[in-house]
Amino acid sequence: MAQVLLEVDRLRIGGPGRVIVDGVSIVVEAGKVTALCGPSGAGKSVTARACMGLVDVQPGLIGGTLRYPGRSERDWFKDHLNGGARGMVRLARETETMRGGYLSYSPQAASSALNPGRTIGRQMEIAVGRREKAIPANHLAGLIVELLAEVGLAPHVCSSLPGELSGGMCQRAALAIAMASAPQVLLADEPETGLDPVLRRQVVELLLSVGKAHGCGILLISHHEDTVTRIADSVVRLVGPVQAP
Amino acid sequence: MNRWVPALAALAIFATLVALGWLAPEHLSDSDMSRKLLSWSEAPPFGTDRSGRPLLEYAMQGARVVVLPAVLAGVAVGMMGVFGGLLRCVGDARVDTVVAGFGEVLGALPRMVVILVVATLIPSTARGLLPLALVWALLCSPGAMDEAAAVSERLGGARFVEALRAHGFSWNRIFLYHIVALNLRPVVVRQACETMTQVTFLELALSYLSVVKEVSSFTHPDSLRSWADLLNIGYSSLVVPNLGTGHVLVTGLFLVGCVVLFARLGSYAARAR
Repeated sequence: MAQVLLEVDRLRIGGPGRVIVDGVSIVVEAGKVTALCGPSGAGKSVTARACMGLVDVQPGLIGGTLRYPGRSERDWFKDHLNGGARGMVRLARETETMRGGYLSYSPQAASSALNPGRTIGRQMEIAVGRREKAIPANHLAGLIVELLAEVGLAPHVCSSLPGELSGGMCQRAALAIAMASAPQVLLADEPETGLDPVLRRQVVELLLSVGKAHGCGILLISHHEDTVTRIADSVVRLVGPVQAP
Repeated sequence: MNRWVPALAALAIFATLVALGWLAPEHLSDSDMSRKLLSWSEAPPFGTDRSGRPLLEYAMQGARVVVLPAVLAGVAVGMMGVFGGLLRCVGDARVDTVVAGFGEVLGALPRMVVILVVATLIPSTARGLLPLALVWALLCSPGAMDEAAAVSERLGGARFVEALRAHGFSWNRIFLYHIVALNLRPVVVRQACETMTQVTFLELALSYLSVVKEVSSFTHPDSLRSWADLLNIGYSSLVVPNLGTGHVLVTGLFLVGCVVLFARLGSYAARAR
């Protein structure tokens, strides 16, 4: 059995009068793809964010456990259940070191998640810097070119601003940035959003090939049932908000 | 062009203006009719006026009047811009509504009329450019906030912040570095530089008004001279030929030009890659 990298058990998120996510359990294993799917508003992004230790104050975290067994056996939710605003802020602060390192995130609508004021190369340098602090400049440049090549981008993209790239190229660049920190778990939040069917297929296949090449576990969030059933090793289906008793 | 060249040039102009203001004499020198209306080359750097007093003293006193209020007004507008930009990233609809209302009310006021009313309301003993500059900054702030908010909107607002949080950046790093330093900087610096230029022109306009109307200055004590005095003296050379005050006009225009150049270089440096 592959090593478990991320384990969420009986996750419950909600507020007064409504529960957004109820009893969701997710396991992400090294080299495998776990898909999280469901209709719009079912709580996919809320669940994905909770997997990174990011939970909004409203709704708050009311139940469940979060473990990163590849790093430690600690339950990160333990001290913060029903913790209110301060609890959610503390949880986010405590898990900060995991994000951008152990966990990496490929955002929905990459073009609006990349920093338009910095070149792709510079953004990748920052991401690589999270993995290795003192990295020689020539080695760094080579590493960035290598990562760009993996996602099918030419070296000259390094000097481009996100606004100078197409939607598909932005998505590839976001994936390269996500992989730059050599994560063990990659959370891909609807990577196919805003892309045409051909590009959508290419991006998802690319995500799988890059993730598997690096041996990391992938949590793929999508509302395209056909895509996830085709590629995922396991699927977690969300049904939507439920009324609190 | 590298951003450091215009940035250093702007800094040099700014440092010179600050030094001029800092070293400005309390009163102009005594008149010396034997040295009247000397040109730039005969009495460097700027020549003398009709009473033989160095125009450098006018330049220094004018800088003293204008530099501090202009800088403070610029900083105030810049900070309001940062506030407006960050507010959009937080994404609270109620706060947005309040700020939009504040902007609409201030934006509807005719700026110059408000300044004239405030200038006449301030008691003559307490007159100075600083309160007027701050009122001007307040009137300019909705524009700066709107523009910065538009930049934040283009960034993706709260979604951009969320994406950066997911990448493990701390709040400070996200807001101060990724949003303010990298993205709001060009807009905020340009707005601040524009406000500094506007305050300089405001001072010139109000001083010119008081000189022409022969009333106490709205912006500085009567012992000081403004750059508007240089323009006023020099302007006569355009009306009456062979008066010999052309160099005074050029000196006044040169000083105003320095402020404009500083603002342009500052804006350019802030937006250059």
